[in-house]
Amino acid sequence: MSENLDLTPEAAVRAVMQDILGLDADQVSAFTADTELFGALPELDSMAVAGLLTELEDRLDIMIEDDEVDGEMFETFGNLVAFAEMKAAE
Amino acid sequence: MSAALEYAHYQFEGNDELCLKVGSHHPKTILLIPPLFDEMNRMRRMLLDVMRLLDAKGIGSALPDLPGTNESLFPQERASLMIWRQALFACTSELSVAPYVASFRGGCLIDDFVEDVKLWRFSPVKGQMLMKTMMRTRIASDKEAGLSTNMAQLTAEAGQGQVNLAGNNIGSALFSQLEEAFPSPVRAVRTTQLESSTRAADTKLPGSALWLRAEPDDDLLLSAAIADDLALWISE
Repeated sequence: MSENLDLTPEAAVRAVMQDILGLDADQVSAFTADTELFGALPELDSMAVAGLLTELEDRLDIMIEDDEVDGEMFETFGNLVAFAEMKAAE
Repeated sequence: MSAALEYAHYQFEGNDELCLKVGSHHPKTILLIPPLFDEMNRMRRMLLDVMRLLDAKGIGSALPDLPGTNESLFPQERASLMIWRQALFACTSELSVAPYVASFRGGCLIDDFVEDVKLWRFSPVKGQMLMKTMMRTRIASDKEAGLSTNMAQLTAEAGQGQVNLAGNNIGSALFSQLEEAFPSPVRAVRTTQLESSTRAADTKLPGSALWLRAEPDDDLLLSAAIADDLALWISE
């Protein structure tokens, strides 16, 4: 099934973060580009990050290579959105 | 929600496999095929809530352990999609469950174990997606231990017998099957997705993607929506 409707990279990142952290839409809509992620959110462990990458690939129909993933990308919400936007534009 | 859990068993290759049942005195029973690997742990509580809610609606349900998962003593590395289909067949034959089957996430990859059943699916997933998440988890934990591993190495390791991914011993058969596996295209299936999903579905259900959650959790909104939709589907 690949009938994915259009979803902006930012909306996809927000939706996946909401699912991983178990937040409601209001809480996750308060995330800004500066919101700290990895290290600041204990739920975001390596397994959650693995699930996040696979889920983003699926929702945005992109492919993420291992060597593209670094710690910096998970430092802030803004960095993660920027990465997703960059991949979606490829 | 105080419905009695029945710890039934079915025989598979000489092992006693657990099959939880609720409300087996009801005229109709739905077989629930759980998600695979870690997703099963994260969604088990939600599934048990679904079983209790179904019981309150006068519908029985059964949740089997797949060989090599949960309480099963079956050697994990011998498990495969084919073994799991055979086990589901054995379970439904022995415990007289069916012809209603509801499968969840990776469980949708093995719900074609028998023909002529009514199928209901929740958030079906391709095998490759499950594999990729598990391989990434392994790569990340290796990295924390100062080791550099990549997916090609893990694939090669699996080809030599088995590979440990996120705490699961995956044998070469299961590894190669999962890479290719997708939910079988069948005619009589009702597919459900979360409201937050952009995928096509017969109906969308409220709730959260528990399989992404760092810790197992329940979601009464989701379990109630699933039980309601299953009750509607079974009455058709």
